[in-house]
Amino acid sequence: MRIEKVVVETDDRDIKTFSLSFVNKEDEANFNYIPGQFAELSVFGKGEAPFGMASSPTQLECLEFTVSKVGVVTTALHNMQVGGMVGIRGPLGNGYPLEALKGKNIVMIGGGFGFSTLRALTNFVLDETNRHSFGDITIIYGARRPGLLLYKDDLEKWRNEADLHLHLTVDYGDEEWTGRVGFVPQITREVAPSSENAYALICGPPAMIKFTLPVVNELGFPLERTLLSLEMKMKCGIGMCGRCNIGSKYVCRDGPVFSCTEILGFISEQL
Amino acid sequence: MPELTNKIKEVARNLLQQKKVDLVIGFERGTMPSYSTPCFVRQDEEVDRLIWDSFCENNLAKYLVKRSEKVAIVAKGCDVRAVVELIKENQIRRDQVVIIGIPCQGMVDRRMVESALERKEIREVKEKHGELIIEGDDFKEVLNRDEFLYPSCKTCTHRNPVIYDVLVGDAITELDTDSYLDVEQFEALPAEERGEYLSKEFSKCIRCYACRNACPLCYCQECFVDSSKPQWIGKTTDASDTAIFHIMRAFHLAGRCVDCGACERACPMGVDIRKLNRKLVRDVKEWFGYEAGLSLEQVAPLSTFKPGDTEEFMLNP
Amino acid sequence: MKAKIIKKKDILDRLINGYEVFAPVERDGLILFETIGSGSEALLGYQSSKMPPKGILFPQSETLFSYSSTKDTANIGVPPGLEKPRLIFGIRPCDAMSFRLLDKVFDGECKDPYYINRRATTVVVSVGCTTSRASCFCTAVGGGPFSAEGSDLLLIDIGDEYVVQIVSDKGARLLEERGFEDAGEDKLALVPEVIKAAEASMEPGVEIYGLKEKLDNRFDDPIWQQLTEKCLGCGVCTYLCPTCYCFDIVDEVVGSGGERIRIWDSCQFPLFTLQASGVNPRPTVRERFRQRIMHKFSYFVDVYDQIGCVGCGRCVTECPVNLDIRQVLNSIAQLEVVK
Repeated sequence: MRIEKVVVETDDRDIKTFSLSFVNKEDEANFNYIPGQFAELSVFGKGEAPFGMASSPTQLECLEFTVSKVGVVTTALHNMQVGGMVGIRGPLGNGYPLEALKGKNIVMIGGGFGFSTLRALTNFVLDETNRHSFGDITIIYGARRPGLLLYKDDLEKWRNEADLHLHLTVDYGDEEWTGRVGFVPQITREVAPSSENAYALICGPPAMIKFTLPVVNELGFPLERTLLSLEMKMKCGIGMCGRCNIGSKYVCRDGPVFSCTEILGFISEQL
Repeated sequence: MPELTNKIKEVARNLLQQKKVDLVIGFERGTMPSYSTPCFVRQDEEVDRLIWDSFCENNLAKYLVKRSEKVAIVAKGCDVRAVVELIKENQIRRDQVVIIGIPCQGMVDRRMVESALERKEIREVKEKHGELIIEGDDFKEVLNRDEFLYPSCKTCTHRNPVIYDVLVGDAITELDTDSYLDVEQFEALPAEERGEYLSKEFSKCIRCYACRNACPLCYCQECFVDSSKPQWIGKTTDASDTAIFHIMRAFHLAGRCVDCGACERACPMGVDIRKLNRKLVRDVKEWFGYEAGLSLEQVAPLSTFKPGDTEEFMLNP
Repeated sequence: MKAKIIKKKDILDRLINGYEVFAPVERDGLILFETIGSGSEALLGYQSSKMPPKGILFPQSETLFSYSSTKDTANIGVPPGLEKPRLIFGIRPCDAMSFRLLDKVFDGECKDPYYINRRATTVVVSVGCTTSRASCFCTAVGGGPFSAEGSDLLLIDIGDEYVVQIVSDKGARLLEERGFEDAGEDKLALVPEVIKAAEASMEPGVEIYGLKEKLDNRFDDPIWQQLTEKCLGCGVCTYLCPTCYCFDIVDEVVGSGGERIRIWDSCQFPLFTLQASGVNPRPTVRERFRQRIMHKFSYFVDVYDQIGCVGCGRCVTECPVNLDIRQVLNSIAQLEVVK
């Protein structure tokens, strides 16, 4: 794939979103994905790493991936310019259960970098072909500080959407920040989204998930309508190399999206 | 060695009952004949699990790192020297450890025994007066224990613990060996032969890292083999990557390795790991007059600089 | 097809033609499976090899593809499949069973062409065990000294000769090709005794029945801390295990191109589950050792409906600290299920 655009998301420049286009039209036609899935991006000579789909399949021109610079492959990606070539393997994983979500209100609770696939889902649901199939959207999204909030353009657009309630929060504010300040679990408790006819989708670091789960439970979301997008270190992406398991579930193959009914028995190792 | 076993139990019981330590690390019977295994005792009722025999081959100093409690450790001559180095490197405080020192007659090389018995399955092993009485399905053999010691035990010059809080057993005479003859003989071989030997040994290596993990002085949170930025060596079994792993590990242990042989014993493939380590142990002794683990006061030569230090490696390439 | 018979000293030379034959050989004091040029190189009377034969189907280091790249394109080259068919001679039924388990992983829902090509082009001739080692426990995990699972031909040692039991079509075809003699009734009559004696000699020392429920139930039990305290966290158990298959994928650069290589990895290594963020869900040996046990005796059962261990005993004999898997399993088995 070819790098078409690079957007620096955060003020520390450690997170960038890459828009990639397929070099072969055939590959493009074969790559059918849904929000919540991921793909493995290859930088030859450096390796391969998994990234959640940050774009909605309704965006036809490019695939977007949000990459945090933490290791060998991600550093190599960050050093690449528009025009650079990367390899892709995917789509992998199960994605969000779109059929089950139809007709429901969706409460998305995301922390930090974990917000990428929720952004993909939001844009998917907001697309005019899909909007009528889903209910209200509530988004609770937190970052450590304002400069680390991702997708600032999307966040602006979403403020103007009817039936979309956007609640942003930061752990630590700055002089310009006028929004909420507080950890995501706490803000979730304050916003108190209704659990009636609704699904809660949680995606973020293990600590955030650990403290948000009881809040969501108290608000009345049953286990089968509480979905988690989990993360483990992955390599093959197809359930073979053995490393991404949580209990007998492979995050790459049976997940990354799990309902709490599926995963709660095994989650103690994670949280 | 029932007297030594009883003495160890007595010492351990007293230490636990008097609350002088929270934990005693020693050995207990393993699950197969000719295997003894590390044992962690915290209650005085469990003390009877402790034993002492010719199969107590692990270096228990491995288990001292990152402990906050007070620990007693059953330690052979080589293990004690590892403890000394760990104390000097601030991995455990002297006042945290009660050293139950044991003058060691060497440990029996189980694989050598198996080989001598042509791999007939061993069902029972008994020790008596320097003899190993081994029984299998249709055989009984008596072997002279001293002929079946580990290579590291055969060249050991510090069988008696250099420091201890309690000494179990009487001091024994040190072996009269020209310890580094094997190094000298190997050095005398032409480079090609040395290269061939080392290549052959390293080709057996499966990169399981048992050597590194068994070594009490390998306690780095992140080992250099796991570093990705920068990546020092590849992770495949490529010959040069594997050779570099062993060479670098030997260098990281220079001046610190007490030549206990835990690495060699842990290796499932029989790689001659100590070939490199012993060369560096000898060089450190020759160039810096230092042997690891003999004294709590001596600073390890590679942690310090003295004006008289040899600089041959820089000045005479 | 009826069982065949052949003299032990003749069998390898009759099979070798046209195959790359892997047989147990003694090298530097180790028993390993290596290619042989003639029957005399093989060690027939061995009990257990040091390395499991999994490396013949699933090599420790394997190039998945090579690439050469320019600024605008990349060319990918996939290595060819096996040129000559292979024959693995003389593995034990436990090791043959391990191939069954590896088949489930590499030839299951997702197909691994590298493994599948090797497996399809390989004939497996296993030899049953007339005695057992103190470390053997195949009978506790659904195997046995004369189990035919995973083999194409099973050899039964009746003295100077082997009775050759045909297990699969692949095996049958090979014997027909090589013209082996039918076994007479007198020889066949010896077989049941041999098998009975071998099974009677087994003392597995571990009870697996009801274990999975307890493992699942007692995941957080403090006993795990005690059981794993002496574990060094090395990779011996996993690398020498015939059924451990976890792998890593690395890129190695060669000039302006390179290779993507699959290599064995171990859940016992600290980096196995270390995430880029620095979070490690299995930060100490306690979690990592527990994962191995849970994987083999619970998760593998959930996903593949079979216990992920063949009872070969290599982890028992080779663990540098004698952390005996049977002892661990028995300790869990002694616990009660907590509601």
